[in-house]
Amino acid sequence: MLLLIPLIYLVLELFIFQTAIDPIKYIYTVTGATAITILFFTTTLSLWFKKLIKYRRMIGLFAFFYAFLHMCNFFILDVNADLLFAFKETIDKPFIYLGMISFLLLFFMAATSTKKRFRKYRKYHKVLYIVLVLTTIHFVMAQKSLSVSQYGYLSIMFVIAFFKIKKILLPKGT
Amino acid sequence: MQQLNHKDITPEILFNQRRSFLKLGAASVVASSTVIELMAKENIPPANLTFKKDLNRDHLELNTFKQITSYNNFYEFTTSKKGVKSLAKDMNTEAWTITIDGLVEKPLTLDVKELMKKYALEERIYRFRCVEGWAMVVPWIGFELQKLIKDVKPLKSAKYVQFWTKYDEEMFPDQRRGIFATLTYPYTEGLRMDEALNPLTLLAVGLYGKTLENQNGAPIRLVVPWKYGFKSIKSIDRISFIDKQPLNTWQKENPKEFGFYANVNPEVDHPRWSQKTERVLGKFVKQRTLLFNGYEKEVGHMYRDMDLRKEI
Repeated sequence: MLLLIPLIYLVLELFIFQTAIDPIKYIYTVTGATAITILFFTTTLSLWFKKLIKYRRMIGLFAFFYAFLHMCNFFILDVNADLLFAFKETIDKPFIYLGMISFLLLFFMAATSTKKRFRKYRKYHKVLYIVLVLTTIHFVMAQKSLSVSQYGYLSIMFVIAFFKIKKILLPKGT
Repeated sequence: MQQLNHKDITPEILFNQRRSFLKLGAASVVASSTVIELMAKENIPPANLTFKKDLNRDHLELNTFKQITSYNNFYEFTTSKKGVKSLAKDMNTEAWTITIDGLVEKPLTLDVKELMKKYALEERIYRFRCVEGWAMVVPWIGFELQKLIKDVKPLKSAKYVQFWTKYDEEMFPDQRRGIFATLTYPYTEGLRMDEALNPLTLLAVGLYGKTLENQNGAPIRLVVPWKYGFKSIKSIDRISFIDKQPLNTWQKENPKEFGFYANVNPEVDHPRWSQKTERVLGKFVKQRTLLFNGYEKEVGHMYRDMDLRKEI
């Protein structure tokens, strides 16, 4: 599966080539960027990649998987599995609680993604749009200052958001 | 008593081999640290500076030359820390002059090469802590800024020292991006006079025995080890003595998050992340950050009457 490539790449860089000079930061960047990219990609399936729509659940679960690694990196390596400190940091810092809320929403979606549960919870899966907004803010906050390439990513996100909103707002058939 | 027969006697050749093997073993225990040092130095270009060695009394564990020269914040090139090295390759630091002006008796403009001859160079093994939360230990080569300050004779009215990185759009790609530039250039930083005169404050011209790599701020940079890394301005073009506290680049960019002092302090968090611990380059396990980055004894007295929570 193509979506495993970022993980393989990360493991190779960390342990085989050992080129990641700041490993914890590197894990954050690769897992975070991958999760956010996949999340935005899932919303474009109904716009431009209709053939892939039957894999939507699988792709979404991959996004959750990367978000999960991202959160594990925070909890295990960054705060040294100190539950109290992790909790305090989460309450205290918008940057961290935005990420944490997004993770919990993704967790909810992953947990209710089985066929049976999905029938019941389908309408709640619209929280994905909240996740997209929160993670975009989280991504911006992770930077000390925005650079050209990051403006590039942001503009792609806004283009997707534009088409998505257009599709939702305009009645079908137009 | 049991009689020794022929097969019990170790043949001389084996005896000697065993001896030399034991010697080798003992030697390797003694030498291992030296060997590791040698191996670590394998990728280091040959030294080209003469300097007085730092005894490293705190037994700080040096980061490798590769780590120090491959992970850099130098926004004039790019915000990618790994990307700086290749972009900085063609930076021309030949015939680089530095101007010292403002409230001084003897302003001067001097080639950095002259400056390096004028002041005896010494090694300083310092902790380096970035505000982003990563840290390293660097064997800088340079001279104390106070030596230069004493030579230019600041006037009584000089209360602060301001530094500028070179402004050269040909040299630095981000400086020609106009409104898309990451920061406002030229990058500038400042110190209070007592901070500038502190013996720890260094003007560095090299590291690991060799003149600075471009990505580390060649040909001359500031090193203020008890402050977050962004205070240690790179590739200095001009130093000015002034009477008012200057507005530094990051302070201007985001005054809520970056103050004038930027002293390393584990008790004062950055609004977005904790400063209690730090990621040492090359390691998966974090370590505790020390007040004033471990230099409290040398610098703590300068901030005794200040509220370090407010004056960040």
